[in-house]
Amino acid sequence: MAAEQRIEPKKKPKRQKMNKRQKKEALWGLLFVSPFIIGFLAFMLLPMAFSFIGSFTNYNITSRMDFIGFENFTRMFTNDQLFLTSLYNTVFYVVLNVPLTTAGGVFLAVLLNRKIRGISIFRTIFYLPAILSGVAVYVLWMQLLSPSSGLINTVLSWVGIAGPSWLFDPNWTKPALILMRLWSVGGAMLLYLATLQNVPIQLYESAEVDGAGPFKKLRHITLPLITPIIFYDVITSTIGAFQIFQEAYVMTENGTGGPANSLLFYNLHMWNKAFVAFDMGYAMAMSLVLFAIVIVLTFINLKLAPRWVHY
Amino acid sequence: MNSKRSIKLLKQSLILGSTVILLAACGNSNDTSDQESADGRTTLEFWSFWGSGARRETIEEIIEEYNASQDDVTVEHVYQPWGDIWTKSLAAIAGGNAPDVIVQDINSVKQRAEAQQATNLQDYLDEDDISGDFYPQLWDTVLYEEEAYALPFNTDTQVLFYNKTAFEEAGLDPEMPPETWDELEEMARQLDQGSEGNWEQIGFYPRWNIGVDVWALNADGGEAWFDSNGEVAINTPEKVEALEWMLDWQDYYGRDTINQYEAEFGSGVSDPFISGLVSMRGQNINYYTNLVENAPDDFEFGVAPLPEKEEGSGHWSWGGGFVLEVPENTDHPEESYDFMKYLSSTEVQEKFGMNSFDIMANTEANENLKTHEELDEMGQMIYELADQNLAVTTITPVPLNAPDFNSLVNTEIDAAFLGQKTAKEALDDAQESVENLAE
Repeated sequence: MAAEQRIEPKKKPKRQKMNKRQKKEALWGLLFVSPFIIGFLAFMLLPMAFSFIGSFTNYNITSRMDFIGFENFTRMFTNDQLFLTSLYNTVFYVVLNVPLTTAGGVFLAVLLNRKIRGISIFRTIFYLPAILSGVAVYVLWMQLLSPSSGLINTVLSWVGIAGPSWLFDPNWTKPALILMRLWSVGGAMLLYLATLQNVPIQLYESAEVDGAGPFKKLRHITLPLITPIIFYDVITSTIGAFQIFQEAYVMTENGTGGPANSLLFYNLHMWNKAFVAFDMGYAMAMSLVLFAIVIVLTFINLKLAPRWVHY
Repeated sequence: MNSKRSIKLLKQSLILGSTVILLAACGNSNDTSDQESADGRTTLEFWSFWGSGARRETIEEIIEEYNASQDDVTVEHVYQPWGDIWTKSLAAIAGGNAPDVIVQDINSVKQRAEAQQATNLQDYLDEDDISGDFYPQLWDTVLYEEEAYALPFNTDTQVLFYNKTAFEEAGLDPEMPPETWDELEEMARQLDQGSEGNWEQIGFYPRWNIGVDVWALNADGGEAWFDSNGEVAINTPEKVEALEWMLDWQDYYGRDTINQYEAEFGSGVSDPFISGLVSMRGQNINYYTNLVENAPDDFEFGVAPLPEKEEGSGHWSWGGGFVLEVPENTDHPEESYDFMKYLSSTEVQEKFGMNSFDIMANTEANENLKTHEELDEMGQMIYELADQNLAVTTITPVPLNAPDFNSLVNTEIDAAFLGQKTAKEALDDAQESVENLAE
């Protein structure tokens, strides 16, 4: 993407007047994209604009919407200890989850990018968890993570490790969720696998002629060539990780945030403010802050990209 | 020519199509509640979360009888899943196409009244005052600025279930359940079998199935985190003692043991009370139905009020329940109220209670169920106990100035159970942060 932009001439092309045929074509084009445009306006842009305005009010969904300036924001940072807890929990999760799932995806893809007998079966096995999703998986994991009878601690006990209480110990709740997410890195793996197969074989051959071993080939050929996809994966999974909600909502009793609020993620706190306390204005302000955080991080990512992404 | 025409037609229909979608998305379709059927009857939409089993069968039977009993109104029962019903109704109320009657949580009536989500019913009550039909603490929950916004439907209360066979085996009198916390502890020690890390039988653990809030209220003369004057009363000496008492139980059995068992109970594979692992437990009285359905025939159990902290402090307990509400701005509040009144009448309440074993909000219905001929001895006893227990049952409506205060209290309580804070420190901190929130 960035490469294309660089090739683009700096000068703006002179705008030509459209003839009748072109106009007609443009109209047809618009007509066919109109479902999306209408959908985007009605279900994305308008709600976003409304939520932006709502951030500065005491909106409670049904009876009031008075302008209160920046009160929601000052309250958030000065008078809501759970806001900071939820922000900390979410950042903790993002910081561990994004690198681990990215590394996991690359690692699996490299392993599975071999021409050995039955490789497609292995690929399928590792991809399968990615197509399972939602509540069923969380319930399954709650059983796997059970401290005494769960499969994970049982296996750990075979090698003499007394496993933690996972979802019952506030120090282990977030790692437990990250472990669960790692299980389904198949989606990212598939992307990397597709990219790996486009890496020209000649590069490896010439490297071999020069005496490069497998690790050097990985370090100097494979990784640089898949950086654009790593970059894409990091950006999308960062955004996705900030939005974590379902897992905590399902895996903690009544969506309350788990032991010592260790699973009270940003969106869960926001949900509780909106639908338990009816404090929708505050929840909207929270969503605006999250939006700002994600925008800033994405911007930083984009700025840093030229240093390590090779197109 | 022909193809040009058909293209034009396609174009027109595309434009028309997207306009219709847009309009449909913006406008609100209020057709179901406006509808009058061909025979001139008004249709009322009634939302409940009773989707299966005895409750669903009974409510549908009741509605059928109501529809047959008069010619003006047809009530349609719409089932909404438990996890969805209230967010869905909130969206419907905000969107102006709410159902006519909803089964709502008893603790948040004031909150909805304040936010204008529920219709003020005071005019109907002024005409015919039925407030005396209900337990007084239930009636209190439906009042906002001294006017009624709902009718109580059913309730519950926390009691002590105990395994009579285990009592006999431990040499205890199965007809003498513990009366005080000290007795409870003594008996639990007698019932315990095994030692730390390897329990075969656990006499009692107070935090299973009921929370710190209930024991704190039990210790503090029925005063909840917010006391009867609406003041934050979290770090009272009695509540601190209650938490200390619960922490002692955790120390006794060991935190790891407790965690392990909790995870197992959470998976719902087997019921530790029925399997005999736990000999006594505090629980919602509704648990009785569970025992009737799932326990083997020779399983002998007893039910008693929660033990009191010390003699004379009172067997205080906690309860919840549901109310019937008419959302704001519906078209037929009068008809809706009439239907609600029918649902809270003694006869209908009695019928619902008998089939579901719910404790009903209508006092007389529960009185009748105590001696109802269609109930067996045990069933009658449950209503006897419930009726008696409701005299010492506190309902804790959500405080308007701090609707989500619970998560703050729970954080501190968790910290105490994790050994990070003493009971006193935890409740002091909770007191401070809830006061701060309530400001």
